[in-house]
Formats: sequence, structure tokens, C-alpha cells
Amino acid sequence: MNWDPWIPVLVVASSLLPGLLIFSLAEERVRLRTVLNLLGAFIKFGLVGLMAWGIYNGHHYEMRVALLPGLELVLRAGPLSLLFVTLSALLWLVTTIYAIGYLEGSPHRSRFFGFFSLCVTATVGVALSGNLFTFLLFYELLTLATYPLVVHRGTQIARQGGRTYLIYTLFGGALLLLGTVWLYSLTGTLEFTPRGFVSGLGAEHETALIIIFILLIAGLGVKAALFPLHGWLPQAMVAPAPVSALLHAVAVVKAGAFGIIRVVYDVFGVETAASLGVTAPLAALAAFTIIYGSLRAIFQDDLKRRLAFSTVSQVSYIILGTAIAGPIATIGGVVHLVHQGLMKITLFFCAGNLAETLEIHKISEMNGVARRMPWTMAAFTIGAFGMIGVPPIAGFISKWYLGLGALEAEQHWVILVLVGSSLLNAAYFLPILYRAWFREPPSSWPADHDFGRKETAWALLLPPVVTAAFALGVGLLASLPFSPLEWAKLIAEREFYRP
Amino acid sequence: MTEMIAPLSLVILVILPALLALALVFRATHAATLQLAPWAALPVLLLVIFAPPSETMQLPWLLLGSELGLNDETDRLFLLFTALLWTLAGLFSRAYLADQLRRTAFYVYFLLAMTGNLGLILAQDLSSFYVFFALMSFASYGLVVHERTSAVLYAGRVYIIMVVIGELALFVAMVMAMGASNATGFAAVRAGLAQAESQDLIILLVFIGFGIKAGVIGLHLWLPLTYTAAPIPASAVLSGAMINAGLLGWLRLLPLGEVALLNWAEVFILLGLAAAFYGVVVGLTQRDPKTLLAYSSISQMGIMTLGVGLALAAPNANPLILIAITLYALHHGLNKSALFLGVGVIAACHEHQRRWVWWLLWIPALALAGVPLSSGMLVKGLLKAQTTHAPEHWVTLLPMLLSASAVATTILVGRFMVILAKPKAATSAHDSTTGLIWPWAMLVVSSVALPWWFAPAIPKLFSAASVIASTWPVLLGSLLLLAVLLWTAYRRRQRGQEPIIESYVPQIPPGDLLVPISYLLTGLVNTVYSWLNTQLPRWRDSILMRIKRSYAHHDVTQVLTRIETVLLRWRSGLLLLLIVGLLLISMI
Repeated sequence: MNWDPWIPVLVVASSLLPGLLIFSLAEERVRLRTVLNLLGAFIKFGLVGLMAWGIYNGHHYEMRVALLPGLELVLRAGPLSLLFVTLSALLWLVTTIYAIGYLEGSPHRSRFFGFFSLCVTATVGVALSGNLFTFLLFYELLTLATYPLVVHRGTQIARQGGRTYLIYTLFGGALLLLGTVWLYSLTGTLEFTPRGFVSGLGAEHETALIIIFILLIAGLGVKAALFPLHGWLPQAMVAPAPVSALLHAVAVVKAGAFGIIRVVYDVFGVETAASLGVTAPLAALAAFTIIYGSLRAIFQDDLKRRLAFSTVSQVSYIILGTAIAGPIATIGGVVHLVHQGLMKITLFFCAGNLAETLEIHKISEMNGVARRMPWTMAAFTIGAFGMIGVPPIAGFISKWYLGLGALEAEQHWVILVLVGSSLLNAAYFLPILYRAWFREPPSSWPADHDFGRKETAWALLLPPVVTAAFALGVGLLASLPFSPLEWAKLIAEREFYRP
Repeated sequence: MTEMIAPLSLVILVILPALLALALVFRATHAATLQLAPWAALPVLLLVIFAPPSETMQLPWLLLGSELGLNDETDRLFLLFTALLWTLAGLFSRAYLADQLRRTAFYVYFLLAMTGNLGLILAQDLSSFYVFFALMSFASYGLVVHERTSAVLYAGRVYIIMVVIGELALFVAMVMAMGASNATGFAAVRAGLAQAESQDLIILLVFIGFGIKAGVIGLHLWLPLTYTAAPIPASAVLSGAMINAGLLGWLRLLPLGEVALLNWAEVFILLGLAAAFYGVVVGLTQRDPKTLLAYSSISQMGIMTLGVGLALAAPNANPLILIAITLYALHHGLNKSALFLGVGVIAACHEHQRRWVWWLLWIPALALAGVPLSSGMLVKGLLKAQTTHAPEHWVTLLPMLLSASAVATTILVGRFMVILAKPKAATSAHDSTTGLIWPWAMLVVSSVALPWWFAPAIPKLFSAASVIASTWPVLLGSLLLLAVLLWTAYRRRQRGQEPIIESYVPQIPPGDLLVPISYLLTGLVNTVYSWLNTQLPRWRDSILMRIKRSYAHHDVTQVLTRIETVLLRWRSGLLLLLIVGLLLISMI
């Protein structure tokens, strides 16, 4: 029997089943819960590795179930799906470990980990969706599974942040649904196809297609925090650190950015989109978001808020790379999907460590903190330098390819955006590093939880160190086979620009 | 396989300091590594002296595909004197930092910057060069702000801002260069750049990006502040080794030997000359010997900038000009570092040692001025011989201007020695000055010997004409200086006390143009910051408000009730059902 079609299903199930089991667990069954969580995470990781090897060697993983005539649930693992699934699987594993350490002893952990697993299930589903319909289902599931995580603390401010999040994302979901239905009525298919499936429509549908594009991008842009739809993101950072980390690095914002890549390349096809004249405004909007997010980040004293605005800015790199509509820029955009995830999750882990260990939430409280928590701050430094684009950390590779791609597509203004944003990134990250490494620490921290000779708990320290090492490694070894960069090249070659 | 061993071992030795920096952090290895840290550059030095590998190593998996190793004589010389300077500065730092706080932190940054500096010499492609360059630049920040006083932190801020600007200029330059040449190896990039459409923009960015490091006039603002702020061993490597990274960057990326770029040659020559004299003029007004030396570096780098200008003008003479520039860099690096370490030695010495240290310091000082038989005479002679390749209107002028700059340099180093001659209370007298003196003495010896060792055979170098040519500027400079000294001594005797030179020439603040610029910029930036900070959220709110208001006219519930009543009439309801049904059918 050929097991290949079942592997994508198993990848989704490997977090769905533990999630459902965890819901039914009593609060005090810590060990069983941890085992379930980690087991699921490791199985998923293993399966994803198997698929990566298979796809590299030309295997095909696809599962179809017809729901209605003409409407099928499709799970398919192409190179692009796999990039996103791998990122999700890896970061889920790391974040699970982190969350176990972070939430130790706090209430409602069964609820938390249940929804946490659902959230990852939805993300993986989004990644593996083979058509827009399946995508839509998982995309909405993601919204619903994330909400309980955002409001987990149950405080007034958390609930308010959660409400904003829900309003924004449901509204976005509605737009996406509208666009999808309209598109289906025109084309009769929603299957993601290399180079798009709308190009066969005649010129009389051009206006309709443009409006559909706007609807889809607006719907996805909410999660991708595209200006002016980004307002929920800085508010949602009231969530616990592991949630913020996952939210900003993979789950929510990436689902939006990933969706935009899908829409541009596999729904419309990049040539069709360019000939409709919709990519240039999208690129301009992404560029504006990049600068706007950075400008807003400079003024935040709350560390997580500054990181949140930085996410607004950085995720738009992916969209910019997509919208420049050239093969090299695409590589830059797609690879940033992974690179930004690795760097941003590191930064959020570190912010969480500062909060958990010393109750430091503000940048102005960070003077000399590197002396107390050198490993945390070393990881943070790698993440921050990567965001600025200092080589050899991952962000440098993304920026390099975005710049090259902009030149190739003769869109020179993009270089100015890259430079401006790097400058702004330096302006809001370097002062943090300066405070942490070069200022004298205060006589006492806001609070100091004692961890013996270690700076903080192992479960909190290990994840950021590992992700920082990854962020450094994928930049340094960018030309190694199976590196994100090489994989992004494979995607561009096989999926987007296939002759 | 065997031919890979030599370059591989070189690369490993260059990475070694960074690994030591990592080992410094762990408690278990800290103490042992702290002992090893000052010696970290020695293995590279020994390898490059005794078994310089001549092959490069392809590392296609590293970054965007890298090539590391030594390609030619220029690379070897650069690596040699850079490794030598880091070794001796490291040994000097052992005694210098013996009883200081933050020794570990110093060595972490020192070792990281060392790997950056040594590594960028091995880098034969854009991406690896950029990595090492960035590592060096950012790690040096930790060296600059080592003392943590407010003046030092200010210098650090200026430094890091200039580093970021330089990094960005280089980023764009390198991306464009790769776009134009479709390659990352330097040789291919240079060839591609020779025909590139956007050649001028790329060269401009390369000029700025590396010019900041090389202290080109206008981009030099950070340099005097930084050299003054950093502790002595750090100033020595900054001024002797790291400053040349900018020069090397030019040699790597500019299409030298490919095409003649006369306009750019003009720019390099003019700005180089301007820096050569400007550095001296501002340097003469300085009171702090380290600041004075920093301005002297600006002036000397000006002459090397001029040399690059010659190479841009005459692609055919490229190999000779390159050797002249490289030897000039070697000469300047060794002597300047010797002077910097000398400042540290003199400050630490007891009264009886001070005199002979002062006399020994004359050796590098006079070499910088270019007295006969010194390395200065050699490199200036080599460079002057290449001025025949300059654009025509420069051919007669350049030798004269170079001699004039030698006069100026003589006065500047004379002034430096005068400052050092003044007895100062030995504030930081170290218990043991031996540890400071012998690395310094070794540096003085190598600064005398090394340039001659590597000099190409030039028959006319000892002819009467060339000896005279190198003698008169020094003589003239010394006479001028002597005259000023005698005059001040005379005035002092006449007035009783104190109206010395300083009262006639006010000190130009270190960083010269930086003072008005930062005054203006700080105001501007603060205004823009606070304006944006208040306006950005306000804009957003006002847009949101406007949207809300435009819907406020229609009372939502009222509208809904109205729709409801319309729908309740059975006919419209039926119509709607019909439409929905039709739509569904058409979809399927």
C-alpha cells in the first residue's frame, strides 16, 4: 500500500489528536500532558523530515476528500508547503518546551496546551492546503484557536486585546470568504495551480479579478498585519510570551503572509497579477508598512510592543518580495518567511525570559541586564543583529536577495526602502543592546526569581539559544543543500517560474 | 587534498580568536583562555611568515559561496603586518590591562575584532568580506567604549552611527556589484564592474562605505574621537590595522587594473590631498597626543587615497602602484601603532625611563616624516615614482605636493614629540613597565626593518637626487618647527611665564566638523522624533475617527430595521431567495 497520501494527514493529526486528548486531561496530569505534547511535536517533526526528503527526490504527497461535488478538501505537500510546515514543526517543538517552562505552576494549562495544539494544527493545515477552500477552513480555525490563547490570562487588558484581535480577524475572514466565493463563481475551481488558474478568463472579467484580488489580500492582510490592518497585533502582545512568540513567528502573521504568496503565485499567477496591475500597489503598500512599522517601533518603551511593531515591519518584507514579482525577489520574500520566524521567535523568547526571571517589561529597565542574563541577551543580540541585516545572520540573506531581486526587476526604489528600514531597525535595536551590555545594572531588579547558578530555568533558556543558533546557522550555511535559501530557490524554480 | 591543508589551516587559525572569545565566556575555560587571549594572533603570524599558503580555498556552502585564502603578495603583506600588530597589541594589553576591571569584556571584543580584521584579508568574495568587515566594525565598539566615561560613550555613539551608515552603503554597493557582475568572487566582480551600467553609483558607495573606515576627509568625524577614547592597545590596532581594512576594501572592489576611470581618479587624488593637509592643520592644534595621532592618520590615509587615485588613472601600472600602496599601509600601520603604544609607555613610565623612551620614540616619528634611510623615505619614494602615471595636469604638481605634505607631517610629528616631552605627573605609573616596553620595542624594531625587507629592488632609490628629495622636506619642517619653538621660548622668557603656543592657537575640538553637525542634527532629529511620535498615532486615530463618523449618520439599528421590514414583505423575500438560488445554480 502506498502510504504517501496519508503522510500530510498524519502531519495534521499529529497535533490535532494530542490537542483533543489534552483538553480532556485533568489540570494536574502534568507529566502525561508533557509527554503527549512532546510526542506529537517529535512525530510531526519526523514526518516533515520524511516528506522533505521525499519531495527533494520527486515524491508526491496528496490527499483528496470530496465534501461537495466540486468542493474538495485537499492536503498536498509541495516545496512551498513544506517550507512552511517545517518552520511550524520546528518552532512548535521549541515553543512547546518553552511554554512548559513558562507556564509551570500557572492555572488552566490543559486549556492552554489544548488550544496551543489546535493552533499549530491549523497552521500546518494552512501550509498543506491544496486549494483555496481548504486554506479558508484552516485559516478560520486558526483565528478561533488563537483567540483563547490571546486572552489566556483573563485580565481586563487581555480580554480587550483579544476582542480587537477577534474583530479584525473575523472581518478579514469575511472578506476572504467573499473573494473566494466570487472567484469560484467565475472559475469553477479553487485548486492552487503553478502560475495560477485565473489566466484563462477573458478580458471582460478584469475588473472583477482586480476586486477579488483586493478582497483576498485585504482578508489575508489582516493576519499579515499589513498597514492599515495591523492594529490588532501590538494589542495582542498581552498574550503570554510563548503565544506571542508563536503568533509573531509562525502561526498567525505567517499564515497571512503565506496566504498572500499563495494568492499571488498559485491563484492569480505572478504574470497575470502583474498584468492586472495589482502587484505594484501591493509592493508600495508593503514598503509603506515596512517603514511605518519601524517608525512606530522606535517610540515604544514596552519591549514586547516594540517587537510587535518590528513584526509589522518585517512581515511586509515577505509581501514585498512577493509583490516585486521577479524570481530573485521571490526567493528573498519566501526565505524571509523562515528567517523572520527564527529571529523573531528568539527575540520574543528572550523578552519572555526577562519578564519571567526579573519581571522586566520595559526597555528602560534593561540597563546592564546582560550581566545578569548573558545567554538570554546573547541570543537576543543575534536576533536583533539579524533583524538589522548584519551578516552572517539570516536577515542579511533575505535582504540581499530582496535587493538583488529589486535590481533584476528594475525596481530600484526598493533598495531605498531596504536601506531605510535597516537604518530604522538599527535605531530601535542597537539602543536596547547598548543598555543591556554597556550600561551599569541597577542595584536591584524589579524582581529576581532565583534559579541557583543558572540565569533562568533550562526550559526557558534552551529555546532561544537554539533558535538563535538556527538564525545564525541558516545565514552562515545559506548555500548548503536543504538550507532555507536553497529550498526557496527550489520553490521558485519548481513552483513559481516553471517553464 | 594536500594542497587544501595549508589554506585550511590558515582559515582555522584566523577563526581561532573568535573561538577563544567564546571560550572566555564559559566559567570552566575562562581562566586559561584569559592567559591565551593576548597571544591569539601569533599562530597566524607564524604561519604567514614561515609557510605562507599560496592557494585559496573554495567554500561553496558558506554564505553565498565563499573563497578564502591568500591570492598574491598584497594579501600576504596585509596579513603579515595586521597579524603582527594584533600580536604586539595583544601582548601590550597584557600588562596594560593587568589590574583593570572588565578585562574579560575587553578580550572578548578584542578577539572578535581580531578575527574580523584577519578574516577580511583572507576573504576573496563579497559575502565573506562583508561578514568579517561587519564583525570587526561592530566588535570594535566594545573596545572603543571600554572605559565607559560619558565622553567615551559619546565617541562610541558617533562611531556606531558611522559604522551603520558605512555598512548600509556597502550593502547597497555589494548587492549592486553582484547584480552587475553576476558573481561574488572579487576578480569577477571587478571585471564586471568595469563595464557595469551603474558603475559610478557603485563606486561612489564603495568610496563612502570604505572611506568611513579609512577616514576620508568629510567621513573622518568619528576617527579622532574614537582613537582618543579607546584604551591604548585598542587605539593601536584601530589606527594601525583596522583603518587599513577600508583601504583593502577599495583595492578589492574598485575595478583597478581593468579600466581607467579618470573622473574617479581625480576625486580620489583631490580628496586624498585635502585630507593630507587638513589632517595636519587640525592635528597641530590638538593638546592630547592620541588625538593628534588620529589626525595624523587622517593625513596619512589621505596619501594612500591619492595612491588609489593613481591606480584608478593608470590600469597598466597597477601592480607597481599596488605594491607602493601596500607598503605604505604597512609602513604607516607599524609606525603609527608604535607611536600609539609609545604614548601608553611614556604615560606609565617612571621619570628615569621616560627620557630614553622619548628618544626611542623619535624612530617611528621620523620614519613617519620620511627622513633618509627610514621606511618613510622608501614608501614615499615608491609612491612618488608612480606619480608619472597621474593624469597629465597632476604630473608635475603631485611630487611637489607630496614633498609639501612631508614638510607638514614633519611639523606634526615634531609637535607630537614636543607634547610628549612635557613632564607630566605619572598618573597611571604601572608597577611593572617591562610588560609594556618590550612589545613596544619589538614593534619599533619591526617598523624599521619590515618595510625594507619587502621592498622591491629599486636602483635609483639611493641616488643623490632621491636622498635630497627626501631630505629637504624634513629639514624644512624641522627648521620651521624649531623657529616656532625658539620664538615661544623667547616670548616665555620675555613675559616671565606661560604664553606658550596654545594661547595663540585655539584647539579645534576633536571631530572638528562633528561639533556643528551633531548640534544641528541632534536638534533636527529630536524635533522629527517627537513630531512623528505624536503625529503617527494621531493620524491613525483621525482616519479611524473619520470612518466612524461617516457611518454615525446612519443609525445602524435603524438601517437594519428598515431592511428587515423590506425583507418581511413576502414578495421581496421571495425575489431574494430566487436570486440566491440562481447564483448557487450558476456556481455549480
